Amino acid sequence: MFKEGMLQVLGVGIYETLYMTLISTLMSYVIGLPIGLALVSTDKEGYFIIPFLGIKIPIVWLNKLLGFVVNVLRSVPFLILLIAVMPITRAIVGTTIGSKATIVPLVIAAAPFIARMVESSLKEVDRGVIEAAESMGASPFQIMFKVLLPEAKPSLLVGAAISITTILGYSAMAGIVGGGGLGAIAMNYGYYRYQQDIMFITVILLVVIVQIMQEVGMKIATMSDKRL
Amino acid sequence: MEQQDVIIELREMSKSFKVKNGVVNALDKIDLKINRGEIFGIIGMSGAGKSTLVRCINLLERPTEGQVLFDGQDLTVLKPAELRQARRSMGMIFQQFNLLMQRTALENVCFPLEISGVKKEEAHKRAEELLEIVGLEERKNSYPSQLSGGQKQRVAIARALTTNPKVLLCDEATSALDPNTTRSILKLLKDINKRLGITVVIITHEMSVIEEVCQRVAIIDNSKIAEIGTVEKIFTAPKSSIGKQLVYSESKPRTQFDDTNRKYCRIVFEGETSFKPVLANMILECNDVVNIMYANTRNIDGQAYGQLIVQLPPDDKTAKKMIAYLETQDVKFEQLSELI
Repeated sequence: MFKEGMLQVLGVGIYETLYMTLISTLMSYVIGLPIGLALVSTDKEGYFIIPFLGIKIPIVWLNKLLGFVVNVLRSVPFLILLIAVMPITRAIVGTTIGSKATIVPLVIAAAPFIARMVESSLKEVDRGVIEAAESMGASPFQIMFKVLLPEAKPSLLVGAAISITTILGYSAMAGIVGGGGLGAIAMNYGYYRYQQDIMFITVILLVVIVQIMQEVGMKIATMSDKRL
Repeated sequence: MEQQDVIIELREMSKSFKVKNGVVNALDKIDLKINRGEIFGIIGMSGAGKSTLVRCINLLERPTEGQVLFDGQDLTVLKPAELRQARRSMGMIFQQFNLLMQRTALENVCFPLEISGVKKEEAHKRAEELLEIVGLEERKNSYPSQLSGGQKQRVAIARALTTNPKVLLCDEATSALDPNTTRSILKLLKDINKRLGITVVIITHEMSVIEEVCQRVAIIDNSKIAEIGTVEKIFTAPKSSIGKQLVYSESKPRTQFDDTNRKYCRIVFEGETSFKPVLANMILECNDVVNIMYANTRNIDGQAYGQLIVQLPPDDKTAKKMIAYLETQDVKFEQLSELI
């Protein structure tokens, strides 16, 4: 049923999709995790302290500003963001097509999403445990890295599983504007050339990849949780 | 009074919280001295401010006014890093244990050492010693979720002791535990106080906890200290109305004083007098019976204390005779007009 080489095209598509998804997720976490930490730490109940300023100073304005930026980025539809950030993409990657170029809008879209995921995970940590650490003389940074992050680890991993599958979905959307991966194959072969079988196969492949990622992610999260 | 070695001193300490419609005074000009090596209890109804008080001692809550002196040092003026250093001399345990759920018992106990930069092997060694003190060395690799409430609190106690604190603050540490576990935890606290000479401050709403381990007690009511003194004194002769409520209400007299025409009398026993058959003698002497409405004795530090509420005979003459008899005896008593 395939023309020659179709299998190879799909193989490359899978590779590109995984490449885009994983690199984007990784880079989104590099940006989103600190923002999430900052969102929690600058919250009213937060403990982040600029050194030498004292204990428990709520840096509300920073929180508001960060929250605003995150909300703005999250409210822009991804398809519009894809097109809108093209100048930035070109400046960074040198081109706006292909899977490498897709990483830029993906990171811009996913980092705020991940920041919110991280924020909600960290907020699940029992206030009493933080208080106990404080009573033992833990510094704000120690609370962050030795209490907040380790205690929230299972929840952060669940968040990562959700994030990675969401990013995979976004990466497929980039096919419309010349991105790479399975999404592009679905557009180019399935939509423009009416090859519905190809469309069908790419969708199946995407479903399978999402399933595997979600399952594996949840499994790791459950295994890492010592409360169970 | 003799000069005591004071380890914690609160001077005119107040704490108020801003809430939606105004300011709530949680603590109002508290003056309190806690001596080195004692087990000091702070009791009050919920909402009286006792939890806020203990949080002010290690500045988890910063007092709005006044001073907190720990070992002669005013904590309220310290820089953050200095305060963290001072906090390492104060252990604290909580009602909800507040263990790190993703760490084993041993790793939990290691935590305070870890954050003060002690080497891992050294921290492990110390943690194992402490788990032995609290009787949990076999459960060192268990996670908190695998431990019972009492075991969790033991881990928390071991954790609070790792840095060799001078003071152990216990915020409702037994309130989430059943009576038997409570007793064993209190015994452990008493043991730690004796063996390691650590001053223990116990916050509770249960009089029985105070009775079991404390030497001195402060009663907090309405953001103020209503009464302070030795446990014996407060148990036998509470002066404040909140004190009376706490001491006498734990087990209220079974029957209400429905017959208000008759006289009621509370006889208080202090230490050795409880071994004298005062009541039986009175009955023989006056040739009439009394109705015991309520009786309660306790063993405090090896001496018996208690109270007895009796309904005197309806005949006014005999009742007066009985009161006159009691006056000749070496017991404390009072006629009751209302039930507290």
